[in-house]
Amino acid sequence: MNWTHWLPLAIVLSSLVPGLLIFTLHEKQHRLRVTLNLCGVVIKLLLVVAMIYGVSKGLEFRFSLPFLPGAPLVLQGDALSLLFVALSSVLWLATTIYAIGYLENSPLQSRFFGYFSLCVSATVGLALAGNLVSFLLFYEMLTLATFPLVVHRGTPEALRAGRVYLAYTVGGGALVLMGVALLHGLAGGQDFQPGGYLLPAVGEHDLALRVAFVLLVAGLGVKAALIPLHGWLPKAMVAPAPVSALLHAVAVVKAGAFGIIRVVYDVYGAEAMGQLDMAGPLLWLAAATILYGSMRALQQQELKKRLAYSTISQVSYVTLGVALLGPIAAVGGLVHLVHQGLMKVTLFYCAGNFAETLGIHRVREMDGVGRRMPLTMTAFSIGALGMIGIPPIAGFVSKWALGMGALEVGQDWVLLVLMGSALLNAGYFLPLLWRGWFAEPADWHEDNWREERWETHWMLLLPAIFTAFLSVLVGVLAGTALSPLGWAQLIVNREFEI
Amino acid sequence: MTSSLFWMIIGATLWLLGLHGLLTLRQALRRIIAFNLMGSGVFLVMIALAARSQPSDPLLVALVVTGLVVAVSATALALRLAGVAQGQEHSKGQQEPRQ
Amino acid sequence: MNAALLSLSLPLLAALLLVLLRPARSGLCVILMSAASLVAAAFALQQAISLGPQLLQIGGWETPLAIRFQLTPLTALLMVFTAGLHLLVALYAARSPHATGNEDYWPLSCLLHASLVALWLSADLFNLYVTLELLSLCAVALVALAGRKAYRPAFNYLMLSLAGSLAYLFGVALFYGRYGVLDVLVLAELTEADNTTRLALLLMSVGLMLKAALWPLHLWLPPAHSGAPTAVSALLSALVVKGPIYILWLIWSQIAPPELGRQAGFLFAGAGILALISGGWSALRAPRLKMLVAYSTVAQLGYALLALGLLLHWQEPRMEAALWLFILAHGLAKVSMFLAAGELQRVLGTRRVRALKGASQNMPVAMATFAVAGGSLIGLPPSGGFLAKWLLLQPLFEQPQHWPWAFGVLLGTLMSAAYVFRVVALGFDRARPNPLSVKPDPVAQWLAMLPALLVLSLALISEPLLLWLGGVAR
Repeated sequence: MNWTHWLPLAIVLSSLVPGLLIFTLHEKQHRLRVTLNLCGVVIKLLLVVAMIYGVSKGLEFRFSLPFLPGAPLVLQGDALSLLFVALSSVLWLATTIYAIGYLENSPLQSRFFGYFSLCVSATVGLALAGNLVSFLLFYEMLTLATFPLVVHRGTPEALRAGRVYLAYTVGGGALVLMGVALLHGLAGGQDFQPGGYLLPAVGEHDLALRVAFVLLVAGLGVKAALIPLHGWLPKAMVAPAPVSALLHAVAVVKAGAFGIIRVVYDVYGAEAMGQLDMAGPLLWLAAATILYGSMRALQQQELKKRLAYSTISQVSYVTLGVALLGPIAAVGGLVHLVHQGLMKVTLFYCAGNFAETLGIHRVREMDGVGRRMPLTMTAFSIGALGMIGIPPIAGFVSKWALGMGALEVGQDWVLLVLMGSALLNAGYFLPLLWRGWFAEPADWHEDNWREERWETHWMLLLPAIFTAFLSVLVGVLAGTALSPLGWAQLIVNREFEI
Repeated sequence: MTSSLFWMIIGATLWLLGLHGLLTLRQALRRIIAFNLMGSGVFLVMIALAARSQPSDPLLVALVVTGLVVAVSATALALRLAGVAQGQEHSKGQQEPRQ
Repeated sequence: MNAALLSLSLPLLAALLLVLLRPARSGLCVILMSAASLVAAAFALQQAISLGPQLLQIGGWETPLAIRFQLTPLTALLMVFTAGLHLLVALYAARSPHATGNEDYWPLSCLLHASLVALWLSADLFNLYVTLELLSLCAVALVALAGRKAYRPAFNYLMLSLAGSLAYLFGVALFYGRYGVLDVLVLAELTEADNTTRLALLLMSVGLMLKAALWPLHLWLPPAHSGAPTAVSALLSALVVKGPIYILWLIWSQIAPPELGRQAGFLFAGAGILALISGGWSALRAPRLKMLVAYSTVAQLGYALLALGLLLHWQEPRMEAALWLFILAHGLAKVSMFLAAGELQRVLGTRRVRALKGASQNMPVAMATFAVAGGSLIGLPPSGGFLAKWLLLQPLFEQPQHWPWAFGVLLGTLMSAAYVFRVVALGFDRARPNPLSVKPDPVAQWLAMLPALLVLSLALISEPLLLWLGGVAR
């Protein structure tokens, strides 16, 4: 059988099958569970590398299955999907190791890791989706797979958060369904194409196209945490740290942003978007979200909630880049997808470490934590500085590109938004760094501290250091073609036919 | 008016009366009687229709006979269900709860 | 045609033999019989597709005197559907005797199966009446199997059902009086939009809506379906209410003139939306689990009403595929849901929804079954419910003036999600999980899961399905 046909399916199955198997495992079968998990991760990474290699050689990967009339289920490997798949796979590896360490000795691990694997399958499925209907299928699957993870702890608080989460995400899914059905009636179930396929419909069906765009952005915006649909994200912080890391760096939030990228570039296309005048409102919304998220982050005293609002703000950078409709801005938005993922997951790993090892949940408890957990604090600092936009960490690269992109299309006011956001970021991250490194911990006594255990478990530390390292690496290598930046440039070239 | 139409109106009236009774009455036996009244009403309508032609339309007569059979079976089932439910209500107030 | 008749006579014969002989392993006999009936129905389907619609005149009489049996791909598919669901429920019931209430379940369920197959095959208004009556009496008797406490809802069901039948019969009499024929195909060409026809259609529709528990004539259903034994509830919600809907569709799409159809269609569609909202709201507030599932049936039949209404209102043939897919998907999902609910009730020892706290730990398969079946009811891809909703939305979105109906569909989706997740979310509550009274039975839970898995993947076989449903415009 032709491997270009089966490889996309295999990538999805590489986490789906272990996930389903893990459900059947007994709680005590710890070793088998870890083996299944890691096997799935490694296989997936190898398959992704194989696909990247194939695409670089010019091969086309496409898997298709008859599904709805006129709209088959399609999995394909183009440059954009590979960007997201690669990010997801690498971060899944890190988060799996982290989760195994974090959840040691806690109950219901089989259930957790089962849903965890389903979550990743859904994410790579929607990354590889080749048309709107396939995207919708995996988008809904993601909602369902993440709910049990949010309510994993089973406390009343977790259940309340879970209900809010469901209300938002199921509603969002229904809106996406409406948008997809409407577009299907207009243009059929075509595959995603760089430059979009709706341009022929502009002029005759403007109302339908506009309504469908609003529906899609509203539905996708729930997961992408655009205001005012962001309410579920801070509440979902009750989930265990691996879930927050996964949800906010890899799966849910990026899925929404990725969906918006697909809709704007591969369904509507820059040309049609310009003619329909829909990009302007989206730009305003993204800018508002960036500023709102940062301002709310300043007010938060709980560490995870501060990071949650920071995510709300940061993911909208991607939407901002997309809505500017210029090639440089597009590069900035796309590459921020990767960069923000790396930096945010680092921050969440570290927050989880602080909570697990020292019981730190609030900002004021962070005093002097750098003396006790220096490695974790270093990783945290790298992530935080990257968020603010300090070179050469990854965040700087994407913000620079976004700024340049804004100038390119003549939307100079966006620069003010970016600068304001950077200042706000500094405002809520720098105090954390100051506290961690320079403040005195409440019970500081040098002799006692030297006797206690240093740092945290290696399984919790290693992923954080790894992703922090990657954040710096992609920033430093940004000039080369190997980096995510180069990759994003490739994608944008195809989109804008440069 | 023709005799056929006259009997049809009677039949329709019976049907409506039966329907009203079935929906508004409380006691089971009365509802069963109301249902049978409805049935009679419909059969009367059908016979009136049959009587429009000479000799009377055998198809409609056959339908009425079938309908009667169905009505008898339904009534039997209804009586069984109602009878036991009634017995249950009477015994509830008088006897101690049985095991 | 022979295969179809075989599929009909097998359950009929089985019912009679089971009553007469009373064998020890009735369950096994019924399983074998329904499997055979399923195979026969599959053959009939294959015949219907390759040879086209076939007719059988019973007794060799000529029309218009003859009583006709008609086999089309749709009716053959419905026969497969009936036999399949009967088999699935029989497997579960054989494994869990508590679900049947009584040994009489077996012959009665066979009789139910036979009457339904006879209904699908009938093409004559009076024959439809007879099969409808047979179906209702069987259903009432099945409800009463739960014991004394079910007699009141069963009696109520019987009374309202008979009222519906007599309304239908009155309509039939009027049709005969006006046109002189009862055969559906012949009537289809003769009908005109005059007052007698209007009255007859109104009477028949009211009667059928009462029997199918379509909003607003649905009040008998929740007590009857929740008071019945588990296997019976499954059959009732999945199969029994579908018979009257078939007849409703038949008379409106074939016999009624299009002008009348357009007016009635609007009312049906509106009632459908209201069913979705009202049924969903009641399900959300129901204190007992089976009551929730029963109200869910009322709500889901709203989708069928909506599809039927829009089919008639816009004379849009693509809505037919949507209607029948709703019926099929709902049948499978509802069987699964009721069987899972029955398992949960039995093991947790209570009928309340609140008792499901923590059930995802103790009975993961049953809760997962509920969730998967619920997924089809909500309309999540790739389930059959999603496919049906997709087919409903396509013609709906084509013209901007039709878009408000989509809002109704959206509301229905959200309400279904609300009551399904009400149950599923409770299952994840670990604060004070309800302890188990009885040891759970994993085989029974997996048997309950089977129809749910089928309906979950239904959209993946959409091409052959749509072919059988008569070919949908692409």
